Amino acid sequence: MLSKFRNSKVKLPWIIGSITIISIWIILVWIHGISMLTPWGLAYGIISSLTHTRRHYVPNFNHIEGVEFYDLNNYIGHANGWQRKDRILFCVPLRDAAEHLPRFFKHLNEMTYPHNLVDLSFLVSDSSDDTMNTLLTNLQQAQSQENKLMRFGNIEIFEKDFGQIIGQSFSDRHGFAAQGPRRKLMARARNWLGSVAIKPYHSWVYWRDVDVETIPTTIMEDLMHHDKDVIVPNVWRPLPDWLGNIQPYDLNSWVESDAGLALADTLDDDAVIVEGYPEYATWRPHLAYMRDPNGDPEVEMHLDGIGGVSILSKAKVFRSGSHFPAFSFEKHAETEAFGKLSRRMGYDVIGLPHYVIWHIYEPSTEDLKHMAWMAEEEKRKVEEGKIKEFYKRVWELGFEDMRDDWEQERDSILLNIDYTILENNKHGKIVVDWSDDGDDSDIVEAEVTDQQPIQADFDPNKN
Amino acid sequence: MISLALIKYRVKKHPIWAILFPFFVILSILFIISKRDYNILGIDPASIVNKKWAHEIEKTWYFSFTNKYKMPKYVYKEQKDWLFSDHVEDIIPENHIAHYDLNKLHSTSNAAVNKEHVLILTPMQTFHKQFWENILQMSYPRELIELGFIVPRSPSGDEALKKLEAAVKKIQSSKKNERFAKVTILRQESPSFDKLEEKERHALEVQKKRRSVMALARNELLFSTLGPYISWVLWLDADIVETPVNVIQDMTAHDKPVLAANVYQRFYNKDEKKDDIRPYDFNNWQESDIGRELASKMSDDEIIVEGYAEIATYRPLMAHFYEPNNPITEEMILDGVGGGCTLVKAEVHRDGAMFPNFPFYHLIETEGFAKMAKRLNYEVIGLPNYLVYHIEE
Repeated sequence: MLSKFRNSKVKLPWIIGSITIISIWIILVWIHGISMLTPWGLAYGIISSLTHTRRHYVPNFNHIEGVEFYDLNNYIGHANGWQRKDRILFCVPLRDAAEHLPRFFKHLNEMTYPHNLVDLSFLVSDSSDDTMNTLLTNLQQAQSQENKLMRFGNIEIFEKDFGQIIGQSFSDRHGFAAQGPRRKLMARARNWLGSVAIKPYHSWVYWRDVDVETIPTTIMEDLMHHDKDVIVPNVWRPLPDWLGNIQPYDLNSWVESDAGLALADTLDDDAVIVEGYPEYATWRPHLAYMRDPNGDPEVEMHLDGIGGVSILSKAKVFRSGSHFPAFSFEKHAETEAFGKLSRRMGYDVIGLPHYVIWHIYEPSTEDLKHMAWMAEEEKRKVEEGKIKEFYKRVWELGFEDMRDDWEQERDSILLNIDYTILENNKHGKIVVDWSDDGDDSDIVEAEVTDQQPIQADFDPNKN
Repeated sequence: MISLALIKYRVKKHPIWAILFPFFVILSILFIISKRDYNILGIDPASIVNKKWAHEIEKTWYFSFTNKYKMPKYVYKEQKDWLFSDHVEDIIPENHIAHYDLNKLHSTSNAAVNKEHVLILTPMQTFHKQFWENILQMSYPRELIELGFIVPRSPSGDEALKKLEAAVKKIQSSKKNERFAKVTILRQESPSFDKLEEKERHALEVQKKRRSVMALARNELLFSTLGPYISWVLWLDADIVETPVNVIQDMTAHDKPVLAANVYQRFYNKDEKKDDIRPYDFNNWQESDIGRELASKMSDDEIIVEGYAEIATYRPLMAHFYEPNNPITEEMILDGVGGGCTLVKAEVHRDGAMFPNFPFYHLIETEGFAKMAKRLNYEVIGLPNYLVYHIEE
């Protein structure tokens, strides 16, 4: 075959040329995928790889202390970040959260995302309980695990008090009047944490509340593989049986409605609209209510406002300035305004209606009252049972039971008031049987002097 | 008909069929009549009655989808884009727990004495030697100064980066007490902020686009470098080539959340034949009634910028309030600031004040930042008699 080539008029440069072109093509297909097989795809591939390979100058600051260089383009976040060594900044704002921390660290430890790529950042603010020490012991435990792969990356704890406006009980926090100032305060806390913790080498930022009951271990991968700028799961919570088992929890994830916009126009500049309160009827479709338990968890939905229980966002969103407004931004604050602000800055804000994580159940004051009442009721019933038991015994002891005797004597007593016998004895005699057993042995007959028939009944017409 | 013959034959051969066959027929007729099946109508009441929520089938209501839908299987094998990547391995501290108390972080009027860290941030399109020399001549202790630069993703950015690298290397490998606390240099990720030509700069739409991209660069720089020790942030543009030696001490002494110096430019006055100065930055201004009225009539996407005949706002501009004979400490209240030389308390940025890349109350970039700081209840102040100088073009 080779000799045939030699003999033919095809020249060597042509062969070499076509071999190089084909091998370049093969490499392009290998790197950029099947689309390179089409002419358009090929043209695009060549142009893009030419522009991409235009390497920018990278300075070298090795051995020079205190100087760092980062090309932010290397930290834009991939859909398969766990394979690309994308570092996640895991942000957790804490306030009086000691009781939730053990559960939180259990979730953290079970997380399947490579732990060494997860940098933890905590903000401890205005805590009156032992949050700090609990946090430290839990962290030390996590970082001294035998298996080094289970240890986390860089860990930073920040302390900052903002002053407490309202109490921390469920009803304090969720009352209507408290919402505006509370939201703005929490937004400040989140911003302090986010702005100080984010480093140039982070590709993703994950915001998480500690009080989550159950969460998939693959939560990071599940959210990340959608490759969206900002993404949130649906948040529900379990309830006790007497309240109906389960309930949508996070109503801060919603799509803007006309009614919402109209309402926003009527409010003054500093007002904050909060969802889930009858005072502000916005008629917005909530992510929480879109849930179908049998639905496809991969379904996405565009959102305008989002809740803060679990937010995964690309680091570039925060780096380019989006944050949790601590002022009224388009009549919203904190996480809801973060959604709006990110939309305004041109980022995708996505919610997953059928992918659910479960928030813990904290009873409200009302629920607590009801539960107290139920406990009281329980006690009362036990008491009542005891008293009934006692009464029963007293009854048996205190009274002679004559019911059997009565059964026997009744027939004898009723024997002589048989009306039919009187009826038949019209002809002057009243017969009374005095015997005990009714055997006619002791019959007394009485003469009736009056020939009138005996009136058994009282006749009202007579006198 | 074959089946009929077959039946006849079977009945003849096994008489028991004569009994069983009618029995079967009756049974099946009864079955057909008695069966309530609405499938023909597409309604299936039985299945609705029997329908179980996923959690009932699985005895858990937590992750209901596992039965019908599968989440993707994840592979954890590492992937590398070896051909097109200039990714450098980062040195990231591991397994250590750092603890910072931000309550102890203050920004006071006596910054140098209280050892407060100042972060100087500069978006850098071109590296001017005078700019660097000006930074080096500042008298604020260098161990309290951190520097942050962001360079555009473009050839001119490369050039600036090379010069900056050389300058930084020189100072950071000198004696310990002459070094800066930290220098961070970033290559920007957002669209390049220097692509626009000089002559286009003044078209309004171009201006909006340019400032929007500039705002992104500023935010990227700010939120990548704002560490836990920073008390003050000084925004110093790359073309500010002359400031007083004590600029940081002087400006922190005012103890204001946002404080802008007046940016002027030195030039040779041909009419009077002598060196002279002229106002340069017009982004430091007070809001006027006309400006407010203009804003109220605009649609959400429009911006107001200073220096255009078509948007005459008659705002009092700080640049025009310079009085050489008045004390340099004189203050005036501002509503918009520029980025030339502006000192900001770190807490203002930490609370969330950033540079909007979209029209925020019809303002953008540094002016939008001033508005946002005001929305967060911080005051914005200018120093009309405190001059810093822009490079002569």
